Amino acid sequence: MSAPRGLRCLVRPSAAVRSTAVPIPIPIPTLTPRAVPLLAASLARSAPFSTSGALAKEGNEPRVNRRKGKMLKLGKFKKDKIDRGRTPLPGERKAYRKRITLSNDNAIPVPWLTDLGPADLADSQNIARVLAIPEEVQDQLRAAEAFKTTQCWGMFRKPSVLVRKETVDLASQMQASADQQQTLRLVVTGDKVTGKSLMLLQAMTYAFLNNWIVIHFPEAQELTTACTEYAPIPDTNPVQYMQPVYTLKLLQNIRRANEKVLAKTFTVSSHQGLPQNITANTPLLTLVSSAKEPDAAWPVFQALWRELTARRGTRPPILLSMDGLAHAMKMSDYRSPSFELIHSHDLSLVRLFMNALGGGLPLPGGGAVLAATSRNNAPRAPSMELSLAQRLAEQAGAAAADVPQKDPFFRGYDDRVEAVLRSVRVLRVGGVSKLEARALMEYWAASGMFRATIDEKTVTEKWTLGGSGVLGEMERAALLTMRI
Amino acid sequence: MPPRLNIWSACRALSTRARAFAHGPHSAPAVLARGLADNTASRFPGSSGGDGSNLPPSMTPASEPPAYSSEENRVALDQLRLIQYGINPLDPALEGHKFGLPELPLPPQKHIKHRYNEVVEQITRLLMRDGKLAKAQRDMAMILNYLRTQPPPKLDPARPLLPGAPPAHHLPLDPVLYFGLAIDSVAPLIKIRAFKKLAGGGRALDVPMPLRARQRRRIAFQWILDVVNKKKSMGSGRTMFPHRVAEEIVAVVEGRSPVWDRRMQVHKLGTANRANLNHSGVVGKI
Repeated sequence: MSAPRGLRCLVRPSAAVRSTAVPIPIPIPTLTPRAVPLLAASLARSAPFSTSGALAKEGNEPRVNRRKGKMLKLGKFKKDKIDRGRTPLPGERKAYRKRITLSNDNAIPVPWLTDLGPADLADSQNIARVLAIPEEVQDQLRAAEAFKTTQCWGMFRKPSVLVRKETVDLASQMQASADQQQTLRLVVTGDKVTGKSLMLLQAMTYAFLNNWIVIHFPEAQELTTACTEYAPIPDTNPVQYMQPVYTLKLLQNIRRANEKVLAKTFTVSSHQGLPQNITANTPLLTLVSSAKEPDAAWPVFQALWRELTARRGTRPPILLSMDGLAHAMKMSDYRSPSFELIHSHDLSLVRLFMNALGGGLPLPGGGAVLAATSRNNAPRAPSMELSLAQRLAEQAGAAAADVPQKDPFFRGYDDRVEAVLRSVRVLRVGGVSKLEARALMEYWAASGMFRATIDEKTVTEKWTLGGSGVLGEMERAALLTMRI
Repeated sequence: MPPRLNIWSACRALSTRARAFAHGPHSAPAVLARGLADNTASRFPGSSGGDGSNLPPSMTPASEPPAYSSEENRVALDQLRLIQYGINPLDPALEGHKFGLPELPLPPQKHIKHRYNEVVEQITRLLMRDGKLAKAQRDMAMILNYLRTQPPPKLDPARPLLPGAPPAHHLPLDPVLYFGLAIDSVAPLIKIRAFKKLAGGGRALDVPMPLRARQRRRIAFQWILDVVNKKKSMGSGRTMFPHRVAEEIVAVVEGRSPVWDRRMQVHKLGTANRANLNHSGVVGKI
C-alpha cells in the first residue's frame, strides 16, 4: 500500500530502519486511493528520500554518519559537560547557611568561667562578668531557635554571655513579675548590632533556668511574609487565619525546649476533637506530642494555650518572645479570598502574641511577653517607631510637650499597632560601658581569639572603634577582622 | 600697629583667681631658674627675700591653704615642688598624653597603609572583584575565621611545608600564619619564559626564570583560585565563597590539593630546561 510508505519517508532514517526491522502497527487513517494526492503518491513510489531500505539489507544496525578526524562543532555554546561531583541535595544548601556551631575546639578553655545559676542573671553583683550557659540550657535554647548564625558562638569553647546592666534590669523585672504573678510586657529596642536579640536570649536563659515555659517566635517574618501555608479559621469574625505548618513546627520546638516543665504540668480539663483524646490530669507533654500532622496543629496549640492560661491549678510562669517585631506590625503579604491584604494581627499566632503584648491576655502564673526590634531586616513600621519613641519619652519623664507626636500629614499610621504598644515598657539597649567591654575582651583574650594584652589602651581603642561600645561593632573590630 | 603694643592688651593678661594658691613650705627660688649658680639674691628689683611678702594682696593667701583634695592633686603639687627645686619630675613620654607617645619609628603594623600582614594584604587584593575592597576584606576575615575554627591540619610528609613551620596544632590559633604558610609553601620558585624562535625551526626556547616573593604568592593564589572556582558549592550564603577558599587552603596544608601537582610540573619543566640558561641568545637578556 502506498500510504504507509509515504508516511515513512517523513520519519528519520534510523527510526525507519527500526520500524522495518520490528514492524510496529501504526494507526493510519484509512484513505481511499482516490483521496491520496497524486504527486505524493507518485513521489512515494518512485523516489523515496531515505536509503534505509538498502542499508537495512546490509545489516540490521543503524549507522550514524561520523566524520573521520576532528569533529566539527557548529554550536557556539555547546560545551562538554564537566563533572563536578555530587550536587547538593534539596535543602542541603540552606542547611549549610543556617547551621549553628556552638563550640570551637581550638579555643582555649577559660579557667575562671563559671556556669550560670538560676539567680545569676538578676544579680547586680554579676554586672560586667562573663558567664557560661549550662549544657542543658544550650540544648533548650537551640531547640527554641534562640541562636542566630550571625552571632559569634562558633569561636569559643563554650557559649557564654556577658551580663550587662540591661540584662540585670530585664531579669530582675522578670523575677518581680513572676513573684507577683503579673505579666511583664516589654519591647527591647536599640541601634544596629547592640545586642537586642542577645537580650532576648538572656531572658530565655533566665526563663529556662527558673523553669518557665518558653514560647519563642524566632523571626516574625516567617509568619507574615507569606512563606508558610495559611487557612481561614471557621466561625471567626473578623476572619482569622491559622498557619498549620508553622504551628506544628512551633509545637515541636515548644516540646523539645520545655520537655521537663511540660511533663510536670497537668491538664485541668479534657479535650475532645484532638487526634488523641486528652482527659483531665494528663501531662501537657502528651498534649503537645499529640500533634503529628499539620492538620491537627492548630487545635492542639489552642488546647495547649487554654491549658497554660487556665485559672485552676498552678501554672508555671510563661515567657512569650518574638524577634524582628516590625514584620508583625504591618500588613502581611497574605491575601484574603477577596484578594485583599491581610493585616498581620489577623493571623492567629501573631494575634495571640499581640494580645498578650497589649495586655489583653493575662497569664495566671505570671510571666513576660518580650519583643525585640531588628535594625537589619525590618520593614518600616511608622506606628511602631512612633509608639516606642513615645513610651521611651514617657519613661524618661519628659513633659507632655516633648513626647513625639504624629505627623499630621502622614497617612501610614496603623491604629491596631498603636493600641498594642500603648502601655508596654521599652528597654533601650545601647553600647556597653568600658568595664563591661573590658570583661568581655578579657574573655576573648583568655580564649585565644583576641591576641593582644588587655589594658586600658586596648579596651578604649576597641570601645571607640565600636562606636562607644556597640558590641557587634567591637566584635567586628576585634574578632572579625583581617588583623588577628 | 600690632595689637600687643596697645594698652588695652594688658587687660587680656589680667586674671582673677577665686581660690588662693596652694603653697607648700617656702623655699629659695629654684637654682636653675636664677641663671647664676652662686647668686642667692633675686634678679627682680625690689624683691629681697624669697617669701613673696611684696606680692600684691590679691595673690597672697588670706588664710591657710586648703587641704589636699585628692591623691592626684597631691602628686601634682609634689611635681610642682620638684620643678621649683629645679628637678624635672615629668617624663615627657607619659605626662600630658592620655595614652603616652607612640614608639618611634612606628612598627610596620602601626602604619595605616601597612596595618595588615603582607601576604594577607596582597591576597585580599587578589580576592577582590569589581573593585569591592571592603567585600574582599570581609571575605578574607571569614577565611581566617574558618581556619581558626577548623581542627588542626594533618600534615602530609610527602608535601613538606616551609622549613621552620610550627607544629600543626599551633596553626589554628594563628590563622594569619596558617594562611601565609600555605601560600608560601605551595608557591613556585620559578616560571618558564619562552624566548621566541630561539630553539631552531621557529620554535620557542623555554627558559626558567626566578620569581620575587610577591610574584610567587600571586601565582600560587591564582592556582588556588582556579581550583576554587571549579569546585561546586555545597552551601549558599555570604560565607560560601570564603569557605571554599579556606577549604582549599586547608587542603594545601594537608597536601591534598591539586595545586601541588601544578607546582611540581613547573619545577620539573624548569629543571629540564635549565641548560637553556646558557643559550647564546638568552645569556645577555636575563
